[in-house]
Amino acid sequence: MKIIAMILAGGKGERLYPLTRDRAKPAVPFGAIYRIIDFSLSNCVNSGIRRIYVLTQYKSLSLNRHIQLGWNILPNKLGEFINVISAQQRIDEHWYRGTADAVFQNIYTLEQERPDLVLILAGDHVYKMDYRKLIQFHLEKKADLTIPVIEMEKGSSKEFGVVEADADCRIIGFTEKPVKPKTVLGKPESILASMGIYVFNTQPMVRRLIEDAKTDSQHDFGMNIVPSMIRSDRVFAFPFEEGSRGKPYWKDVGTIDAYFAANMDLLAPEPAFDLFDRGWPIYTHEESHPPVKIILSDKEVGKSDGIALNSIISGGCEIRGGRVENSLLSPAVRVEMDAKVNNSILLNEVKVSRGAQIRHAIIDKGVEISEGMKIGFNLKEDAKKFTVTESGFVVIPRWIRT
Amino acid sequence: MAKILVVDDEEHIRLLYKQELTEEGYEVTLATNGKECLEIIDAENPDLIILDIRMPVMDGIETLGRIINKRKDIPVILNTAYSSYKDDFMTWAAEAYVVKSYDLSELKIKIQEIISRKKGSP
Repeated sequence: MKIIAMILAGGKGERLYPLTRDRAKPAVPFGAIYRIIDFSLSNCVNSGIRRIYVLTQYKSLSLNRHIQLGWNILPNKLGEFINVISAQQRIDEHWYRGTADAVFQNIYTLEQERPDLVLILAGDHVYKMDYRKLIQFHLEKKADLTIPVIEMEKGSSKEFGVVEADADCRIIGFTEKPVKPKTVLGKPESILASMGIYVFNTQPMVRRLIEDAKTDSQHDFGMNIVPSMIRSDRVFAFPFEEGSRGKPYWKDVGTIDAYFAANMDLLAPEPAFDLFDRGWPIYTHEESHPPVKIILSDKEVGKSDGIALNSIISGGCEIRGGRVENSLLSPAVRVEMDAKVNNSILLNEVKVSRGAQIRHAIIDKGVEISEGMKIGFNLKEDAKKFTVTESGFVVIPRWIRT
Repeated sequence: MAKILVVDDEEHIRLLYKQELTEEGYEVTLATNGKECLEIIDAENPDLIILDIRMPVMDGIETLGRIINKRKDIPVILNTAYSSYKDDFMTWAAEAYVVKSYDLSELKIKIQEIISRKKGSP
């Protein structure tokens, strides 16, 4: 059985601005040392699916670099690969118009590969899933299309494609972002949300993509391809809990608030999303860094303990007499004497100078917070220079001088 | 009168099709390759395109992809001497795939079917 994965990595991630000012959403850093796309890629590799195309378009430089440096791990001679395909305008001269168009525009790639099954994945979801279980289910059901689904509260229906399934898991209805959703059989407060990933038999998928390309639709899997296939093909819902590796955890970190919360989830003593599961490694690109160093500051200038509590600290970080609490530090962050970092995400090479205080903030790569500066204490003041979200997080983009 | 655009690099095919299809009551216009087809498609505004696959400059399969993006409303019949292209995914985008033969009756039936279907739809 030949299976290829296509990871859609072209999302702009506008609601993650300014983290997506210079990078595509799948390249946004997550969990101190990872990029969001690492989770889907690791799921593939750990599931034995090792013919992978990553379809990119906007702002793909940092994503390309990450995959080139961190994911050059599969032996091409054995037919395994991770290939990045940028929007080539092979069929037409425009950017991808929708998720289905992205795959349609790469139909020649599918033709060369001629797989039996195509796994369509999103490059911007955080979850762990054994795709082998999904594929086994797909084959057992003799399905043309299988969609992993997750139970969600009814109130969140406007964010998801909502699936209506019969007792055999066959999908009999599908509505994108409904206001009045169909609820789960016997559970009036729950809906089945599509996770936006799909396994298709190649032939029916190609036929539906072509049909769709000839119409004036949004060229979107959820809005167009799935509803049309429910009428004509065998479409099934695969319960995420049957395929999840570890406790079911799935996040589409679409907004700054969701991004922040999902990062903070990792700080729980026993998080649902466990990075320490050695049976399901998450791979990434990492430069070499010296070990973490947490020390007292120089006694001559005044004594202050370097301390880190309830936090994730990456290699190369130096906490020199500062205090870090409930935070995630990416590699090579430096926190100096009397500085305080609380409830924050600091990306690579951020420097928090002496006496500075940071709370409820996301600070992008390489930003230097100057001596005594306070971030997150006076949001009105912060909003004059930085992005402040509705729920009160301060986001400082790259290259900003404070 | 329905208008048919015949795209083929071989002159004798173009002439044969023009003569036979004109006799059937269609208006026939000609192009010698895919690029030429795309250049005149908007001006000629045909009801149907008969498209050869193996052509110099731009082949029929690439042309078909571009027709879909440019003019989804115009149906295409692929017409080639080879049946082996039927497995190519992109050929599935055509309304019909007719293997070339000096007897044009199969082609004529398909043309009639597609044109009457097109007239029937709003």
